[in-house]
Amino acid sequence: MSEPLLACEDIVKVFPGVRALDQVGLRLQAGTVHALLGENGAGKSTLIKVLTGVHAPDGGRLRWQGDEVHLRSPLEAGRLGIGVVHQERNVIPGFSVAENITLQQPPARRGLISPAAMIGPARDCLQELGLDLDPRLPVRELSVAQQQLVEIAKALHTDSRVLLLDEPTASLSPGEAERLFEVIRRLTARGTCVVFVSHKLEEVFALCDTVTVLRDGRSVLESAPLSEHTHDDIVSLMVGRAHAATAFTPRTVDASGPAALSLTGIATAAGHEDVSFDVATGEIVGLYGLVGAGRSELVKAVLGLDRVHSGEVRVHGEPASISSPRQALHRYGIGYLTENRKEEGVFLDQPITRNIAVTVWRKLAGALGQVSSKREQAVAQDLVDRLGIRLARLGQNAGELSGGNQQKVSLAKWLATDTRLLIVDEPTVGVDVRTKHAFHELLWELARDGMPIVLISSDLGEMVTLADRVVVMAGHRVRGQVANDHDYERMSQRIIRLIHDRPAPEAAVEKGRMTP
Amino acid sequence: MIAIRSRSAGAVPALRRFSRSTAMTLLCVVVIGYLALGVASSGSFFEGPSVRTFLQYLATPILIGLAQMVVLCVGQLNLAVGALGGFTACLMGVLMADAGVPAALAVPAGVLSATLIGLLTGVFIVATQINGFIVTLGTMTILLGAQYRLTGTRTVDGYSSTLRDLGRAAPLNLPLVFLVALVTAVLLAAFLYRATAGRRLLAAGGNPLAARLSGISTDRQTVLAHTLSGLLIGLAALTATASLPGVNRSVGGDWLLPSFAAPIIGGVALTGGSVAVLGTVLAAFVMRLIDAARAEFSLDPSWVNFLIGLVMLGTVVGGRLHQGHLERAGKNRRTPTAPTGGGTAPAADSLLAGTGGAQ
Repeated sequence: MSEPLLACEDIVKVFPGVRALDQVGLRLQAGTVHALLGENGAGKSTLIKVLTGVHAPDGGRLRWQGDEVHLRSPLEAGRLGIGVVHQERNVIPGFSVAENITLQQPPARRGLISPAAMIGPARDCLQELGLDLDPRLPVRELSVAQQQLVEIAKALHTDSRVLLLDEPTASLSPGEAERLFEVIRRLTARGTCVVFVSHKLEEVFALCDTVTVLRDGRSVLESAPLSEHTHDDIVSLMVGRAHAATAFTPRTVDASGPAALSLTGIATAAGHEDVSFDVATGEIVGLYGLVGAGRSELVKAVLGLDRVHSGEVRVHGEPASISSPRQALHRYGIGYLTENRKEEGVFLDQPITRNIAVTVWRKLAGALGQVSSKREQAVAQDLVDRLGIRLARLGQNAGELSGGNQQKVSLAKWLATDTRLLIVDEPTVGVDVRTKHAFHELLWELARDGMPIVLISSDLGEMVTLADRVVVMAGHRVRGQVANDHDYERMSQRIIRLIHDRPAPEAAVEKGRMTP
Repeated sequence: MIAIRSRSAGAVPALRRFSRSTAMTLLCVVVIGYLALGVASSGSFFEGPSVRTFLQYLATPILIGLAQMVVLCVGQLNLAVGALGGFTACLMGVLMADAGVPAALAVPAGVLSATLIGLLTGVFIVATQINGFIVTLGTMTILLGAQYRLTGTRTVDGYSSTLRDLGRAAPLNLPLVFLVALVTAVLLAAFLYRATAGRRLLAAGGNPLAARLSGISTDRQTVLAHTLSGLLIGLAALTATASLPGVNRSVGGDWLLPSFAAPIIGGVALTGGSVAVLGTVLAAFVMRLIDAARAEFSLDPSWVNFLIGLVMLGTVVGGRLHQGHLERAGKNRRTPTAPTGGGTAPAADSLLAGTGGAQ
C-alpha cells in the first residue's frame, strides 16, 4: 500500500477521569473516503480534534506523508491541508455567509478586507453544494441545515488534502445529503481524503471505502476495507459483545391504575411530531435515539421549557399543562435529572447539604423563611445514607466529589421532595463502571418501590439493563417501541434496525403506540 | 448579468434592514427631539451659539461610548473608562501647566499613555485569565488614586492657550472637537467593518470557539480591544481638556455610566460579537438632547437620569421583543432548502454589523 497521507499511531488522549483515546491508530489514503464509526462517546470527536490541532495528544505520533508532525493549533492543521467540519456549530452568527466561508483566509489587500471579493469564491463553494443562497445574508438568519451547509462550504474553501466531516448530515435532508455525497466523490476523485463520521450506516456503506471503528476510546477495527464487512458486523463491532445485562431482583410493573405519565400526539416548537407513549407506575421506560434525535428536547418541552404546540400530557390520569420545571416539581411531582449536571444539575461550589435541600427549602423553612441548618442536614444525611454517596463530610462542596457521586447528589435533590415521577437524562455519561453499576441498582430499586422513571440514555447497554420498554426516537419522532427482554444482542439489533428504519421480522417489534 | 442582479438584490434588503434597525429609530428620535426642542424654545435652539454648545459637549460622550463599545464587542467590559479619561486629562493638564511641556508634546504623550494603559490592562486580563470586570475595577481604583495624586484638590487651568483655542474653534459653526469625534467614529467604523483586524475582533466576540478553530487568537483580540479602548479614552480626554475651563479630580467622574448607556441604547449586545458605531453615536446624541432640554427649561437634574434610564430600558426591551418575534418567525420557516431572500427582518442589534458588504 502506498504511503498514507495522514497517519495516527497509538494516539492517547486523557481527560480528567476519562481515557478518551487509548492507542488509536488510523491511516488515511489519498483519494478515499474513510468512515470513522463508533457509538456515542466512543472518542470519534476527540480523535478529530486531535487530528486538527484542537487537542494535543498525550501520547502517540501523527505522520503527514510519512513525516512526524506536531499540530499546535487549528491554523497549523489548516496550513498543512487538514480541513474540518466540527459537530458543534462553528459559524459567526453576525457575519455574512460569504465572510463565514472565507473566514480562514479572507480576501484582503493591505489589511482591508474586500466584501465584494469574497462573494465570488463563496458563491462557488455554495454552488458546488447546490445551495442557492445569497452570500450577503447574515448567518443568524439561516436555518440550522443551511448553517450546516455553510460550514461545509467553509471547509471546501480551504482546499484541503484531508477533509474531516463530523456528522455532516445530522441536520440535512436526504436531498441535501445526496448533493454532499456528490461533492465528496468529486473531491476524492481529485485525490483528497475525506473522513466521514456518521451514525447513518446506509450513508457509510454507500460512500466509504475504508473504515475505522472506535469503541470506548480504542480502535477495534483499524483502516480496514469496508467491502469486507456487513452491516451487522459493523454494528456488532460498534456495540461490542462484552456487555452482559446484569440481573437484578425482578420487579413488576403496576399497569392497573392510570399511567403515571401519558403523552398523546405531542408536537413541539422544537420540531417533534406525533409523539405518544405511556409510563406506568413502577415502570422504567427508556428513550433511545442517536444524538440529535430530540429526546432531551422532548422532555424539556413537556416540562415547559419549550412550547408544546398540540397533543395532551396526562400526569397520573389528570390532564396537565406544565409551564415551568418549578411547576412540574411542586404541582405534579416530576423531578428532572439533567444531562448536563456540571452546568444545570449541581451547584458545584456549594456544600452538599445545600445542594440536596434546595428543593425542600419551602418545606423546611420556618415562619420567617429561615432554613434551619440542622433540619437541612438531617434531610441530606438521610439521602446520603440511602444513596450511598461517598463523601468526607456534608459541608464539602459538591464540586469536590467524583462525577458519579455528583450525579447521586443531583438525584438526591429530587428524592428529597416527594417526587412521583423521575426523568433521568444520560445519568452515567463519564462515570466509571462501578459507580455506573451502583447507579443502575439505585434506579432499579426506586422503580421496584413504585417510582415511574423515564430514562434517556445513549448507552444501549444501560437501556437493556434497566428499561422495561424502549421507545426509539429518530428525527424528533417515535420510530417504535421495543419490549425489553434483557438480551443485549437481540435488543441492540432491533433498536438499531428501528433507528435505521429497517424493521426486523420479529413479532416483538411494534411500530407506533404500544401500551404495557 | 449576475453581478447586476445581485447588486440590486443586495441593496434593497440592506435598505430594508436599515429601516428596521435601532439606528433608524434613534435617528428619528434625534430629529424629532431636536425639532421639538427648537420649537419649544421658540427657535433659539436652532441658532448658531446653541448649536455650537450642543455639539461642543457631544464630543466626549461619543468617544467614551465608542471606547466602551469596542470592549463590549469582544464580550468584555471596561469599568475604568472614566478613571482612565480623568487621569489622562489631568496628566496632560499637569504636563503643560506644571512641567511646561508644550501642547504638541503633552497631548500625544497623554493619548499614548492612555493607549498603553489599555494595552497593559488587556495583557493582564489575558495573562492571568481573571475576569475583565475585576481587572478593570482594579485599574479604575488605581487610576482614580493617580488622578488625585496629580491634581489634589486644585483645578489645573494654566495650560496652553493654543489647545483651548483649538478646543473652542468652530469652522462653519461645527466645533473642532465634535469633528474629531466624528472622524474617529468613521475611522473606527471603517476598521471594524472593513479591516481584517477589525473583522477578527468581531469574529472572536461573535463565537470564540469558531474563531479559534479558524485560526483567530481570541487572546490577541481581547488585548486589541482594550488597547483600542485606551486610545479612544485618550482622545476623549483630549477633547475634554480642550473644551473644559480646567481639569481637576472630578473630570471623568460621570463618564462610566453614559459609556455603557450609549452602546446599549445603540443596539450593542453585552454578550459580544455585535457593534453599532452609528447607533452608539446617535445614542450619545439622544442623551445629549435630554441634557440640553434640562438646561433649556431648567429642569431638575434628576429628570435627566430618570429619562436616560427609561430610554435605555425601553430600547433594550424593544430589542428583546423584536428578537423574540424574529426567533418565532425563524422557527416557522424551517424548510431547509428555500433561500431566505431579503424579506426577513434583521435582528435589532445587527446594524451593519452582519453585513460587511451591505453598506
